Amino acid sequence: MNKFAEIAKFGKELVETQEIENALDLIAIEAKKLLKCERCSIFLIDYESQMLWTKHSDGIGRIAISTDAGIVGHTFKTRAPQIVNNPYDNQFFMPNIDKKSGFTTKNIITTLIFDSNREVIGIIQLLNKLEGDFEEDDLKVLNFFANYVSGTLELALIQEKNTQL
Amino acid sequence: MDDSSRYAKLTEFGKKLLNKPSLSEGLVLISDTAKDLLCAQRCSIYIYDKSHNQLWTVLSDEIQKIQISAAEGVVGHTLKEKKPIISNDPYSDPTFFKEIDHQTGYVTKNIATAPVFNSSRKTIGVLQLLNKEDGFNDEDTKFMIFFAHYISSYLELASLLGDNNE
Repeated sequence: MNKFAEIAKFGKELVETQEIENALDLIAIEAKKLLKCERCSIFLIDYESQMLWTKHSDGIGRIAISTDAGIVGHTFKTRAPQIVNNPYDNQFFMPNIDKKSGFTTKNIITTLIFDSNREVIGIIQLLNKLEGDFEEDDLKVLNFFANYVSGTLELALIQEKNTQL
Repeated sequence: MDDSSRYAKLTEFGKKLLNKPSLSEGLVLISDTAKDLLCAQRCSIYIYDKSHNQLWTVLSDEIQKIQISAAEGVVGHTLKEKKPIISNDPYSDPTFFKEIDHQTGYVTKNIATAPVFNSSRKTIGVLQLLNKEDGFNDEDTKFMIFFAHYISSYLELASLLGDNNE
Protein backbone atom coordinates (compact mmCIF):
# COMPACT_ATOMS: atom_id res chain seq x y z
CA MET A 1 0.00 0.00 0.00
CA ASN A 2 1.44 3.41 -0.87
CA LYS A 3 1.79 6.10 1.77
CA PHE A 4 -1.15 8.19 0.55
CA ALA A 5 -3.51 5.21 0.56
CA GLU A 6 -2.28 4.41 4.05
CA ILE A 7 -3.01 7.97 5.18
CA ALA A 8 -6.51 7.77 3.65
CA LYS A 9 -7.20 4.60 5.62
CA PHE A 10 -5.85 6.21 8.77
CA GLY A 11 -8.10 9.27 8.26
CA LYS A 12 -11.18 7.08 8.69
CA GLU A 13 -9.91 5.77 12.03
CA LEU A 14 -8.96 9.25 13.17
CA VAL A 15 -12.42 10.78 12.67
CA GLU A 16 -13.93 7.98 14.77
CA THR A 17 -12.00 9.04 17.89
CA GLN A 18 -13.89 10.98 20.53
CA GLU A 19 -11.28 12.45 22.85
CA ILE A 20 -8.39 14.60 21.76
CA GLU A 21 -5.98 12.44 23.79
CA ASN A 22 -6.97 9.39 21.76
CA ALA A 23 -6.64 11.33 18.53
CA LEU A 24 -3.12 12.40 19.49
CA ASP A 25 -2.15 8.82 20.32
CA LEU A 26 -3.47 7.59 16.98
CA ILE A 27 -1.65 10.34 15.09
CA ALA A 28 1.60 9.49 16.85
CA ILE A 29 1.29 5.77 16.12
CA GLU A 30 0.51 6.45 12.46
CA ALA A 31 3.41 8.91 12.09
CA LYS A 32 5.83 6.32 13.48
CA LYS A 33 4.48 3.73 11.09
CA LEU A 34 4.68 6.03 8.06
CA LEU A 35 8.24 7.15 8.65
CA LYS A 36 9.42 3.97 10.38
CA CYS A 37 10.66 5.59 13.56
CA GLU A 38 11.11 4.59 17.15
CA ARG A 39 9.29 7.45 18.87
CA CYS A 40 6.83 10.21 18.20
CA SER A 41 5.63 13.12 20.29
CA ILE A 42 3.01 15.66 19.38
CA PHE A 43 3.42 18.98 21.12
CA LEU A 44 0.51 21.38 21.39
CA ILE A 45 1.09 25.07 21.95
CA ASP A 46 -0.27 26.98 24.88
CA TYR A 47 0.16 30.61 23.83
CA GLU A 48 -0.79 31.94 27.27
CA SER A 49 1.92 30.13 29.19
CA GLN A 50 4.33 30.00 26.22
CA MET A 51 4.73 26.27 26.73
CA LEU A 52 4.74 23.31 24.43
CA TRP A 53 3.20 20.25 25.96
CA THR A 54 2.27 16.70 25.12
CA LYS A 55 -0.98 15.15 26.26
CA HIS A 56 0.39 11.82 25.28
CA SER A 57 4.04 11.09 24.90
CA ASP A 58 5.05 7.76 23.82
CA GLY A 59 7.18 6.06 26.43
CA ILE A 60 8.69 9.14 28.03
CA GLY A 61 5.73 10.35 30.09
CA ARG A 62 4.10 13.74 29.81
CA ILE A 63 6.40 16.58 28.79
CA ALA A 64 6.03 20.35 28.98
CA ILE A 65 8.80 22.50 27.59
CA SER A 66 9.25 26.18 27.00
CA THR A 67 8.47 27.38 23.45
CA ASP A 68 12.13 28.30 22.95
CA ALA A 69 13.64 25.02 24.18
CA GLY A 70 15.25 22.34 22.06
CA ILE A 71 14.74 21.36 18.44
CA VAL A 72 10.98 21.53 18.93
CA GLY A 73 11.25 25.08 20.29
CA HIS A 74 13.53 25.99 17.40
CA THR A 75 10.94 24.60 14.97
CA PHE A 76 8.28 26.76 16.60
CA LYS A 77 10.42 29.88 16.67
CA THR A 78 11.59 29.67 13.06
CA ARG A 79 8.29 28.21 11.74
CA ALA A 80 10.50 25.81 9.77
CA PRO A 81 10.54 21.99 9.85
CA GLN A 82 13.84 20.53 11.03
CA ILE A 83 15.92 17.50 10.13
CA VAL A 84 18.70 16.86 12.63
CA ASN A 85 20.76 13.78 11.95
CA ASN A 86 23.49 14.52 14.52
CA PRO A 87 21.60 15.92 17.49
CA TYR A 88 24.57 15.82 19.87
CA ASP A 89 26.37 18.26 17.56
CA ASN A 90 23.38 20.56 17.29
CA GLN A 91 23.31 23.69 19.43
CA PHE A 92 19.53 23.56 19.91
CA PHE A 93 19.35 19.94 21.03
CA MET A 94 18.73 19.40 24.77
CA PRO A 95 20.72 16.33 25.85
CA ASN A 96 19.37 16.51 29.41
CA ILE A 97 16.06 14.90 28.34
CA ASP A 98 18.01 11.88 27.11
CA LYS A 99 20.01 11.87 30.35
CA LYS A 100 16.85 11.83 32.46
CA SER A 101 15.04 9.21 30.42
CA GLY A 102 17.97 6.97 29.48
CA PHE A 103 16.84 7.15 25.84
CA THR A 104 19.48 7.90 23.20
CA THR A 105 18.33 10.25 20.45
CA LYS A 106 20.06 9.40 17.18
CA ASN A 107 18.15 11.63 14.80
CA ILE A 108 15.17 13.97 14.81
CA ILE A 109 12.62 15.24 12.33
CA THR A 110 10.00 17.86 13.17
CA THR A 111 7.25 19.72 11.40
CA LEU A 112 4.56 22.24 12.25
CA ILE A 113 0.82 21.77 12.41
CA PHE A 114 -1.02 24.92 11.32
CA ASP A 115 -4.69 25.74 11.82
CA SER A 116 -6.94 27.32 9.19
CA ASN A 117 -5.64 30.81 10.05
CA ARG A 118 -2.00 29.71 9.67
CA GLU A 119 -1.44 29.84 13.43
CA VAL A 120 0.82 27.08 14.71
CA ILE A 121 -1.24 24.72 16.88
CA GLY A 122 1.31 21.97 17.30
CA ILE A 123 4.55 20.30 16.36
CA ILE A 124 5.10 16.68 15.41
CA GLN A 125 8.48 15.28 16.42
CA LEU A 126 9.82 11.89 15.39
CA LEU A 127 12.95 10.32 16.81
CA ASN A 128 15.28 7.59 15.64
CA LYS A 129 14.47 6.42 12.17
CA LEU A 130 14.91 2.66 12.17
CA GLU A 131 17.13 2.61 9.09
CA GLY A 132 19.44 5.41 8.05
CA ASP A 133 19.07 9.15 8.41
CA PHE A 134 16.05 11.36 7.86
CA GLU A 135 15.84 12.72 4.32
CA GLU A 136 13.89 15.35 2.40
CA ASP A 137 11.44 12.67 1.24
CA ASP A 138 10.60 11.89 4.88
CA LEU A 139 9.86 15.57 5.39
CA LYS A 140 7.53 15.64 2.38
CA VAL A 141 5.51 12.78 3.80
CA LEU A 142 5.52 14.30 7.28
CA ASN A 143 4.43 17.73 6.02
CA PHE A 144 1.61 16.16 4.08
CA PHE A 145 0.62 14.12 7.10
CA ALA A 146 0.73 17.14 9.45
CA ASN A 147 -1.55 19.06 7.13
CA TYR A 148 -3.83 16.06 6.79
CA VAL A 149 -4.43 15.82 10.54
CA SER A 150 -4.54 19.58 11.13
CA GLY A 151 -8.26 20.02 10.36
CA THR A 152 -9.30 17.24 12.72
CA LEU A 153 -6.99 18.56 15.41
CA GLU A 154 -8.22 22.13 15.03
CA LEU A 155 -11.82 20.93 15.29
CA ALA A 156 -11.00 18.86 18.39
CA LEU A 157 -9.37 21.90 20.03
CA ILE A 158 -12.34 24.15 19.19
CA GLN A 159 -14.75 21.59 20.59
CA GLU A 160 -12.68 21.15 23.72
CA LYS A 161 -12.79 24.90 24.26
CA ASN A 162 -16.56 25.01 23.59
CA THR A 163 -17.29 22.30 26.16
CA GLN A 164 -15.18 24.08 28.78
CA LEU A 165 -17.17 27.28 28.41
CA MET B 1 -27.00 28.57 13.46
CA ASP B 2 -24.58 29.45 16.26
CA ASP B 3 -20.92 28.67 16.09
CA SER B 4 -20.70 25.77 18.51
CA SER B 5 -23.55 23.85 16.87
CA ARG B 6 -21.86 24.39 13.51
CA TYR B 7 -18.66 22.80 14.79
CA ALA B 8 -20.55 20.02 16.55
CA LYS B 9 -22.12 18.99 13.25
CA LEU B 10 -18.73 18.77 11.58
CA THR B 11 -17.54 15.61 13.30
CA GLU B 12 -20.38 13.59 11.81
CA PHE B 13 -19.74 15.21 8.46
CA GLY B 14 -16.03 14.27 8.67
CA LYS B 15 -16.90 10.61 9.15
CA LYS B 16 -19.33 10.59 6.25
CA LEU B 17 -16.92 12.42 3.97
CA LEU B 18 -14.07 9.96 4.44
CA ASN B 19 -16.39 7.15 3.41
CA LYS B 20 -17.13 8.73 0.05
CA PRO B 21 -15.08 6.75 -2.41
CA SER B 22 -15.17 9.24 -5.26
CA LEU B 23 -14.31 12.91 -5.39
CA SER B 24 -17.58 13.69 -7.20
CA GLU B 25 -19.66 12.19 -4.39
CA GLY B 26 -17.46 13.90 -1.82
CA LEU B 27 -18.00 17.28 -3.48
CA VAL B 28 -21.76 16.86 -3.30
CA LEU B 29 -21.61 16.00 0.40
CA ILE B 30 -19.34 18.99 1.06
CA SER B 31 -21.74 21.31 -0.79
CA ASP B 32 -24.80 20.01 1.04
CA THR B 33 -23.07 20.38 4.42
CA ALA B 34 -21.78 23.89 3.71
CA LYS B 35 -25.24 25.01 2.55
CA ASP B 36 -26.80 23.64 5.70
CA LEU B 37 -24.21 25.11 8.09
CA LEU B 38 -24.12 28.53 6.45
CA CYS B 39 -27.84 28.72 5.63
CA ALA B 40 -27.16 29.44 1.97
CA GLN B 41 -29.23 28.44 -1.01
CA ARG B 42 -26.41 27.09 -3.15
CA CYS B 43 -22.87 25.89 -2.74
CA SER B 44 -20.20 24.83 -5.21
CA ILE B 45 -16.67 23.58 -4.62
CA TYR B 46 -14.56 24.51 -7.59
CA ILE B 47 -11.44 22.45 -8.20
CA TYR B 48 -8.57 24.26 -9.87
CA ASP B 49 -7.20 22.54 -12.95
CA LYS B 50 -3.91 24.30 -13.38
CA SER B 51 -2.94 22.72 -16.69
CA HIS B 52 -6.08 24.02 -18.40
CA ASN B 53 -6.33 27.16 -16.24
CA GLN B 54 -9.90 26.23 -15.44
CA LEU B 55 -12.08 25.67 -12.42
CA TRP B 56 -14.55 22.81 -12.49
CA THR B 57 -17.31 21.63 -10.21
CA VAL B 58 -20.00 18.98 -10.20
CA LEU B 59 -23.71 19.61 -9.93
CA SER B 60 -25.74 17.85 -7.28
CA ASP B 61 -26.51 14.96 -9.63
CA GLU B 62 -22.79 14.04 -9.40
CA ILE B 63 -22.62 13.61 -13.16
CA GLN B 64 -22.73 16.98 -14.83
CA LYS B 65 -19.60 19.09 -14.58
CA ILE B 66 -19.40 22.87 -14.98
CA GLN B 67 -16.17 24.45 -16.10
CA ILE B 68 -15.22 28.09 -15.93
CA SER B 69 -12.08 29.94 -16.80
CA ALA B 70 -9.82 30.41 -13.77
CA ALA B 71 -9.88 34.16 -14.41
CA GLU B 72 -13.65 34.53 -14.32
CA GLY B 73 -15.96 35.96 -11.72
CA VAL B 74 -15.74 36.19 -7.96
CA VAL B 75 -14.44 32.61 -7.81
CA GLY B 76 -11.63 33.45 -10.23
CA HIS B 77 -10.87 36.56 -8.21
CA THR B 78 -10.67 34.48 -5.02
CA LEU B 79 -8.21 32.14 -6.73
CA LYS B 80 -6.06 35.07 -7.81
CA GLU B 81 -6.13 36.92 -4.49
CA LYS B 82 -5.94 33.77 -2.32
CA LYS B 83 -8.36 35.45 0.08
CA PRO B 84 -11.99 34.97 1.06
CA ILE B 85 -14.46 37.38 -0.55
CA ILE B 86 -17.94 38.52 0.43
CA SER B 87 -20.04 40.22 -2.21
CA ASN B 88 -23.43 41.20 -0.85
CA ASP B 89 -24.32 43.25 -3.90
CA PRO B 90 -22.87 41.24 -6.79
CA TYR B 91 -24.58 43.18 -9.59
CA SER B 92 -22.60 46.26 -8.51
CA ASP B 93 -19.41 44.23 -8.21
CA PRO B 94 -17.16 44.51 -11.30
CA THR B 95 -15.64 41.06 -10.66
CA PHE B 96 -19.06 39.34 -10.70
CA PHE B 97 -19.70 37.28 -13.84
CA LYS B 98 -23.36 37.89 -14.77
CA GLU B 99 -23.33 35.52 -17.73
CA ILE B 100 -23.99 32.44 -15.61
CA ASP B 101 -27.14 33.99 -14.13
CA HIS B 102 -28.27 34.94 -17.64
CA GLN B 103 -27.72 31.41 -18.87
CA THR B 104 -29.35 29.63 -15.96
CA GLY B 105 -32.07 32.09 -15.01
CA TYR B 106 -30.86 31.98 -11.42
CA VAL B 107 -30.57 35.33 -9.62
CA THR B 108 -27.47 35.68 -7.44
CA LYS B 109 -28.21 37.97 -4.50
CA ASN B 110 -25.02 37.52 -2.54
CA ILE B 111 -21.80 35.50 -2.66
CA ALA B 112 -19.22 34.31 -0.17
CA THR B 113 -16.04 32.48 -1.18
CA ALA B 114 -12.93 31.03 0.44
CA PRO B 115 -9.82 29.55 -1.18
CA VAL B 116 -8.87 25.92 -0.47
CA PHE B 117 -5.14 25.29 -0.02
CA ASN B 118 -3.17 22.04 -0.17
CA SER B 119 -0.34 20.98 2.16
CA SER B 120 2.16 23.02 0.11
CA ARG B 121 -0.04 26.10 0.47
CA LYS B 122 -0.98 26.04 -3.21
CA THR B 123 -4.59 26.93 -4.05
CA ILE B 124 -6.38 23.79 -5.19
CA GLY B 125 -9.92 25.08 -5.20
CA VAL B 126 -12.51 27.61 -4.17
CA LEU B 127 -15.52 27.17 -1.91
CA GLN B 128 -18.46 29.32 -3.04
CA LEU B 129 -21.80 29.92 -1.34
CA LEU B 130 -24.72 31.83 -2.82
CA ASN B 131 -27.82 33.54 -1.51
CA LYS B 132 -27.96 33.70 2.24
CA GLU B 133 -31.17 35.38 3.35
CA ASP B 134 -29.68 38.46 5.02
CA GLY B 135 -26.34 38.42 3.25
CA PHE B 136 -23.00 37.03 4.44
CA ASN B 137 -21.01 38.41 7.37
CA ASP B 138 -17.53 38.12 8.88
CA GLU B 139 -18.56 35.21 11.11
CA ASP B 140 -19.51 33.30 7.97
CA THR B 141 -16.11 34.05 6.45
CA LYS B 142 -14.39 32.88 9.63
CA PHE B 143 -16.29 29.63 9.51
CA MET B 144 -15.66 29.20 5.78
CA ILE B 145 -11.89 29.58 6.30
CA PHE B 146 -12.09 26.82 8.89
CA PHE B 147 -14.34 24.66 6.70
CA ALA B 148 -12.14 25.11 3.60
CA HIS B 149 -9.12 24.00 5.62
CA TYR B 150 -11.03 21.08 7.13
CA ILE B 151 -12.01 19.68 3.72
CA SER B 152 -8.67 20.51 2.07
CA SER B 153 -6.92 17.34 3.19
CA TYR B 154 -9.74 15.21 1.84
CA LEU B 155 -9.63 17.04 -1.49
CA GLU B 156 -5.85 16.88 -1.75
CA LEU B 157 -5.74 13.19 -0.95
CA ALA B 158 -8.66 12.37 -3.24
CA SER B 159 -6.91 14.16 -6.10
CA LEU B 160 -3.63 12.37 -5.37
CA LEU B 161 -5.23 8.96 -5.20
CA GLY B 162 -7.14 9.61 -8.41
CA ASP B 163 -10.82 9.37 -8.96
CA ASN B 164 -11.56 5.96 -10.42
CA ASN B 165 -15.27 6.54 -10.53
CA GLU B 166 -15.06 9.38 -13.00
